[in-house]
Amino acid sequence: MNLNKIFTIYKKELLDLIRDRRTVITSFVLPVILYPLIMIGFSSMMMRQETKLEQETLVVYIHDNLETENSNMIQSEIAELETFQIMNKVPNYLRDTYIDLINEKSIQGLIEISDSLSSSGYQVIDITVFYDETKEKSKLTYRKVKDKLYEIEDKLISERLTRIKINKEILNAVNINNENIAPPEQMVGFALGKFLPYLLIILTISGASVVASDLIAGEKERGTLETILVSGAKRFELVLGKYLTIITISIITVLLNLFSMYISFQHIFKQAAGEDLNFQLPITNFVIILLIMIPLITLFSALLLSLSTFSRNTKEAHSYQMPIMFGAIMLSMVSFLPGFELNFGFSLIPIVNYSLLIRNIMLNSFQLKYLFTIVGITILFDVVMVYISINLFNNESVLFRTSDDKPLKFWGKNKNIFSPQFVTFFFILVTLSLYYVGGSWQAKDLMQGLMRTEIILIFFPTILLLKISKTNIKKTMNLKLNNPVNFLIILLSTLPLIIISGVLSQLINMVYPVSESYLEGLKNVISNQDISLWKNLLIVALLPGICEEVMFRGYIINGFLKQGKWRAIIITGVLFGIMHLDPFRFIPVTLLGIWMGYLLIRTRSLYIPIFAHILNNGFAILLANFGDKIPFLGSSFTEGKIPFYYILPAIVSIYYIIKWLETTNSKVQIDQVLE
Amino acid sequence: MIEAKNLTKIFKKKDGSNLYAVENLSFEANKGEIVVLLGVNGAGKTTTMRMLSTVLKPSSGTAQLEGYNIIEQPQKVRVNLGFLSGDTGLYARLTAREVITYFGRLYDVPDEKILKRIDELTDLLDMHDFLDKKVDLLSTGMKQKVSIARSIIHDPPVMIFDEPTVGLDILTAKNIVEFIHKCKADDKCVLFSTHIMREAERIADKIVMIHEGKILAEGSWEDLKQDTGVRDLDDIFIYYVDRTKQERGSEPQ
Repeated sequence: MNLNKIFTIYKKELLDLIRDRRTVITSFVLPVILYPLIMIGFSSMMMRQETKLEQETLVVYIHDNLETENSNMIQSEIAELETFQIMNKVPNYLRDTYIDLINEKSIQGLIEISDSLSSSGYQVIDITVFYDETKEKSKLTYRKVKDKLYEIEDKLISERLTRIKINKEILNAVNINNENIAPPEQMVGFALGKFLPYLLIILTISGASVVASDLIAGEKERGTLETILVSGAKRFELVLGKYLTIITISIITVLLNLFSMYISFQHIFKQAAGEDLNFQLPITNFVIILLIMIPLITLFSALLLSLSTFSRNTKEAHSYQMPIMFGAIMLSMVSFLPGFELNFGFSLIPIVNYSLLIRNIMLNSFQLKYLFTIVGITILFDVVMVYISINLFNNESVLFRTSDDKPLKFWGKNKNIFSPQFVTFFFILVTLSLYYVGGSWQAKDLMQGLMRTEIILIFFPTILLLKISKTNIKKTMNLKLNNPVNFLIILLSTLPLIIISGVLSQLINMVYPVSESYLEGLKNVISNQDISLWKNLLIVALLPGICEEVMFRGYIINGFLKQGKWRAIIITGVLFGIMHLDPFRFIPVTLLGIWMGYLLIRTRSLYIPIFAHILNNGFAILLANFGDKIPFLGSSFTEGKIPFYYILPAIVSIYYIIKWLETTNSKVQIDQVLE
Repeated sequence: MIEAKNLTKIFKKKDGSNLYAVENLSFEANKGEIVVLLGVNGAGKTTTMRMLSTVLKPSSGTAQLEGYNIIEQPQKVRVNLGFLSGDTGLYARLTAREVITYFGRLYDVPDEKILKRIDELTDLLDMHDFLDKKVDLLSTGMKQKVSIARSIIHDPPVMIFDEPTVGLDILTAKNIVEFIHKCKADDKCVLFSTHIMREAERIADKIVMIHEGKILAEGSWEDLKQDTGVRDLDDIFIYYVDRTKQERGSEPQ
């Protein structure tokens, strides 16, 4: 390795980039002017708005049904409120007229005064304030009226008590005091900690992505790549030189952002806190964040560099960056979510770990243990990404990817509904409909919603698609009777499978704890008390067993069989896992999906996976309902506490079940590909 | 010098079948000699040159450049090679001098020597007026000169030109042709590819005609004329294409 050459490349790239107006603006100029502009401009504008609001006239109509001494007093007190203006009385009062006026912003509030008797016979003045919460002035009116009314209430109560000669102090039974022990720095950290991670991660990626797409894809586009490939530099020297360039630009971007953010926040909080408070933003935290961002920056840089190497031109590179950007935005938003605390499990997930860590640093509550795990895992991913980059750069078919590679089309030229693209397209469509339509059905009525989801959104579209395309459903779906022994084998495999997926769920739950309400919800589905067991079995076991198997093992798996049976089984299993739209159950459900796929391919009969699916869901329901009556198993299932060692006999059983399946079905042609 | 032995490059097509871009290509190019790879678009000229310049790895066969093997000693090969093609770009935001210096350093030329070479090349190519201007602001002809200077900054014994005159006007193309003659005068080994028969006729010491990845014929212009009995190079080329077609047609299937 020649460090001089890497440095030569690095220097040249930096020079090239600094002369590029786009880079300079996005990476250097924007952060420096953006925060002062946003923060200071915004906050001073808000303050201006507020003072302006304070001075505006607030018009109110008061309808007094009582016309007593007290009600008149209330009227005049409100009228005396600053900037308040009371409308003249009209003889024929109509409430709706004034409500319309509030809507039109002509007036800000309507107050009706009447009275009633409390249960113990005292007179109570009922006051209703009509206002519009979404209109600033109306909201302000309500706030001011309410404060005034409490004041008046207090006065009236005192009068009543004096009249019956009771000391007003008697009402003072509890004195509530509170003291926020968090120092102002921590309060600021709490506020900043929520959005700072999000902001920093997005900025890092956006800063690096502009540079990265230019560095390799840009060279391809301009036709300079070949000249440097035939130059005296080695491939990995080129990659490292470019890699260092991206890292440098990103670090500068983050540094400038943090610096500018620090100064701007400092300014704002000083303004907010007033002169008397000697307030300092914790600068050490900003420095720590900058330092720990470096591994993440190198990871993003390597990832973006790989994308850039793979892309034919900058436009393509940008389009590949979009999903990365989007994913990063989603993951980095965990810092906004309450209840998500950094633990070992989260510290392994890129971006999520940083998001939570930065939040903790801002709260001064980070633990070194997680810091090391996070930095370690990031560097590990980083090394892998750099390795991939260098490999891509050494791969001539990637470097000289020709433009006759067709872009991805959902509908291939043969209009084949069994092409992987079309199958995926269909899958996405169904999954989206589950999310948008099925979700609202189930929210209304869980059981009926589930039933409609299975039949209308899963089963029906699949059958319709195959009918429209005039597919031989019986042949495509492998609807043929099967060796009865297989059904027996499946029956025996059910319990071990439930144990395996149960233990897996528990393991996942240990690393990524699931909320109690979630478990409650899941329990409701499988041990629903409101409907009979039979109905429950029908909706949660029989229907999904048929409908989901028809879609996945009947149709979707066919789209991938050309790529080899194992790939087809696994892809279909993963899609099956995704369709359940539940990150916590993704792994067990995917494994079940893979098992069903295997059963189909092994037996060449859809009835077998259908049977297995029904049994699996049915067993889960039965265990949830009657589990406690079975010795050994019982409550461990209902409470999610299956002893981990149960998994050993379960795996051994599955091993023998697979062997049995293999021998029973040894004559079945499993490599046949659907034409 | 260049010695190519049975160079073969197979690309995988989308449907999984093989595309023989170059098949069993063998030829030699010596010091002080201009060898032209002549063939229509898609004949395999660029693929051959990319293999010789170590950008692509041959599927089978090999080649030597100045005695260095393109597969085993790619680094040595690249240092001894100047590569120029018609569509290679330059870094628009750098000045001509910066581009040339950058490549000089990538070729491990010491900085003092780069300075000296730039002076020489500026005189040779008449680049005084724009040496310190950004490439972005240069005309096509000026850019071409910068590209030439960039490719020869390390004074390599072997020069490979991949269709360097494509899309250039006659005056700019003339720069290149002059430069190629200069290379020959400096006793360099020159490999030049083109699909323009006239160009080949004008500068070649030896012509290697390739078609669909295979060699059709090889020899000086005079040799080829004698072999075919046709005077015009276009006709010579077509004659060979037809003859190969007939030979293949008569092969037992």
